[in-house]
Amino acid sequence: MTTTVRLRKIGFGALALAFLAVAGSSFYHQRYLPEAVVLGEGVTAVTRLSEYGESLRGTANDIHLYVLEGKAPGGTILVFGGTHAEEPAGRLAAWMLVEHATIERGRLIVALSANRSASTVTRPGAAYPPEFTIPTAWGGQRFRMGDRWTNPLDQWPDPEVYIHYPSGQYLAYVDIRNLNRAFPGRPDGTLTERTTYAFMELIRREHVDVAIDLHEAELQYPVISTIVTHQRGQDMATMVSMTLTDLEGFKIGTEFSPRNLHGLSHREIGDHSQAVSLLFEAPEPFLDATRGRTNADVLLTGKDEFVVQAGKRGLLFETIDEHGWPIAKRVGRHTSSVAQTMETWTEDHPDRGIVARGIPRYKDLVRNGVGFYLRDPAVAPAGRVVYE
Amino acid sequence: MSMTSEAVIVLGVMVAVYAAARAGRLSTELAMVAAALGGAIAGGYWFPARHVAEGAATYLDINLIFITATLFMNLLKASGGVAFVVRGLLRRFHRQRALLLAVLSLVLLVPGALTGAGSVTVLIVGGMVATVLGYMGIPKVRVAAIVFIIAGLSAAAPPVSLWAMMTAAGVNMPYVGFFWPLLIPCVAAALFTSFVLGWTGTATDIERALQELPEAPAGMSWWKVLAPFAVFLGLIVIGRQWPHATPVIGLPLMFAAAALVAWLVSPVPLRVGRLSLDTIEQLLPLLATLTCAGILVQIMTLTGVRGLMAVTAVTLPTAVVYGTLFLVLPVSEAVLMWGSAPVIGVPLVLLFNAIGLNPIVALAGMSLIWPLGDALPPTAIIGRLTVNIVGYEGPYGAFLRACAVPAIVIAVVGTLMVIYSTRLAQLAGL
Repeated sequence: MTTTVRLRKIGFGALALAFLAVAGSSFYHQRYLPEAVVLGEGVTAVTRLSEYGESLRGTANDIHLYVLEGKAPGGTILVFGGTHAEEPAGRLAAWMLVEHATIERGRLIVALSANRSASTVTRPGAAYPPEFTIPTAWGGQRFRMGDRWTNPLDQWPDPEVYIHYPSGQYLAYVDIRNLNRAFPGRPDGTLTERTTYAFMELIRREHVDVAIDLHEAELQYPVISTIVTHQRGQDMATMVSMTLTDLEGFKIGTEFSPRNLHGLSHREIGDHSQAVSLLFEAPEPFLDATRGRTNADVLLTGKDEFVVQAGKRGLLFETIDEHGWPIAKRVGRHTSSVAQTMETWTEDHPDRGIVARGIPRYKDLVRNGVGFYLRDPAVAPAGRVVYE
Repeated sequence: MSMTSEAVIVLGVMVAVYAAARAGRLSTELAMVAAALGGAIAGGYWFPARHVAEGAATYLDINLIFITATLFMNLLKASGGVAFVVRGLLRRFHRQRALLLAVLSLVLLVPGALTGAGSVTVLIVGGMVATVLGYMGIPKVRVAAIVFIIAGLSAAAPPVSLWAMMTAAGVNMPYVGFFWPLLIPCVAAALFTSFVLGWTGTATDIERALQELPEAPAGMSWWKVLAPFAVFLGLIVIGRQWPHATPVIGLPLMFAAAALVAWLVSPVPLRVGRLSLDTIEQLLPLLATLTCAGILVQIMTLTGVRGLMAVTAVTLPTAVVYGTLFLVLPVSEAVLMWGSAPVIGVPLVLLFNAIGLNPIVALAGMSLIWPLGDALPPTAIIGRLTVNIVGYEGPYGAFLRACAVPAIVIAVVGTLMVIYSTRLAQLAGL
């Protein structure tokens, strides 16, 4: 090897190491970014998912569960955000519930990061920002931007094809790390399957009546701005959709969960437990493959010229204009939909009613923004801050 | 400034930096990284280390498959297994020209199909098959064309087709249902190529061919050749039959297990350490391409260039897209190699999906056309490699002309698969 070649190798090696050090620091900080949750007055207990699946203890998915129990007995509703951690409106809507909801009757259980592992990684090739900040009057709160799939650091390798348990249905290999393809899970399966199994155990043991999974979708995806419901929830979902469209100022449809498409929460929770399962989809232009510049600004404003162009060509299943789809609208759709579901459920099941107050709804969020409803951990009472 | 203007400027900078880097004699891979860094700076991101590192990891799993599968094939070759098979087939079929051409085509298809790399086909079996074809009286230029075209088809053939895998990953589409849409046209086109280019010649001179082919070592047998393949297929079958009772080991470890068996049953001692190093050295340009293409794609996505290309593609008149596939895909392959799949393939599949075509069959059709670009400048890596391995010393242009007939047929078949993908959807079995 000549001196020139040796020097060139050393130079390139040093450059690569410098890049790796800077990049490694960014990956580390994203994985361990603490996200503050200020427990609202309604939170009566905080527990862990490992209470329902012992094998999760000590893993990235031994997540917090926030319990809001009313004084009067009633039904139980479970709301989980962060099934897909690249869909932040679901997580933020769950945040709104934990920091502001108070339950007068029945019980609300909330998970902010259903697949916490997925919130610690971004997708190679997708150029996602590692985090985003929601501006607040007290400065701003930082959140991890995540991915659709469990972090490969927590679950790897993938098989050559993913065969769903227990249906035996063949799915894409990478979906073995997709929480919303791994229901109802197994106690001794992959991390993702053990997570969904623990959720199922939670639903069964706590006699959950309604389970709601919060999502966002690209505008090129046909299942968007809708409530996907198990057949046992069809009447309720239709009533929720009609009421929201009439009263809240946004349109939301209903879709029925296909009976032979397995692994999804709206199918498996309904099939394997007593709970009625619903999945809410809000529009997120950031996920569209035709999106332009990829950064936290586009993630939060939902403004994208290229997606608008695709819409003009008739390629989208939801409208979009120069105002985009701001995060406040997306979060507001979810909080209003959750609140309306509780109301409709209570009307239909007066013996197992769930009555809540204090949930910021669509119009509140559009008027005030998401940051208005995020509480400052610095001034929270002692013992009332939890980190996700 | 509008998003479009910004993205156009960044794209312009990327193209200029790439061209300047190539003019400055940087390799294609380094030119792609230079273009990515130039684009990042033009986009206002300076040196986005995180994105460079993340982009470099985009195809990590594919690289691991590539390495372990090629190590397996190299061990099989070093053990004498490949020579044993070629000699055996020659002895068995030398009097039946059509059958011999057919089995040689299949031999050429296997290494690339398993590894996803046409270069592996050329390196592992290309030389030996070329020797046999030569003693069948086929001129060297046509022998080179047969090996090159079928090597390209082998790379597109299942189970590992990098163009399909990378494009599918870019549109969040599972790499499922591609087996038959890729296998049928690849095998048909391979047979067509060998018959068209190899039909005329002389009777096979088996004595001289056997003299020139490497000897198979004493003790080599069919079961020793087939045992590692049986282990590989066995692991796949077990994983599919009892998926919830067996641990997930992944394709790279399956190929590694097959490599281990090839080593254990080899009748001659194999220097595994040396062969492993040789494998990495042999694959380095291809691994570098995948790594650098990942970086380029990440920066294109970051800066909106990928979005610009995607939205341009999905808003073009469909007839224009169909009519230029035969040109766009090979030329992009010649410039970006596999990087053309995420850069060009992704927006095209989005368009096809949006207009109601079957994206699996359409992508399979595109995957047939892409490898034709591997003989074209500026890269022409596999074309030049083939010419060297086969020992063809004539003008490169004559080699390209010899490839023309099968190349045109493949381009037409691929384009028709795209246009009629909906009618062919049952091939995907979904």
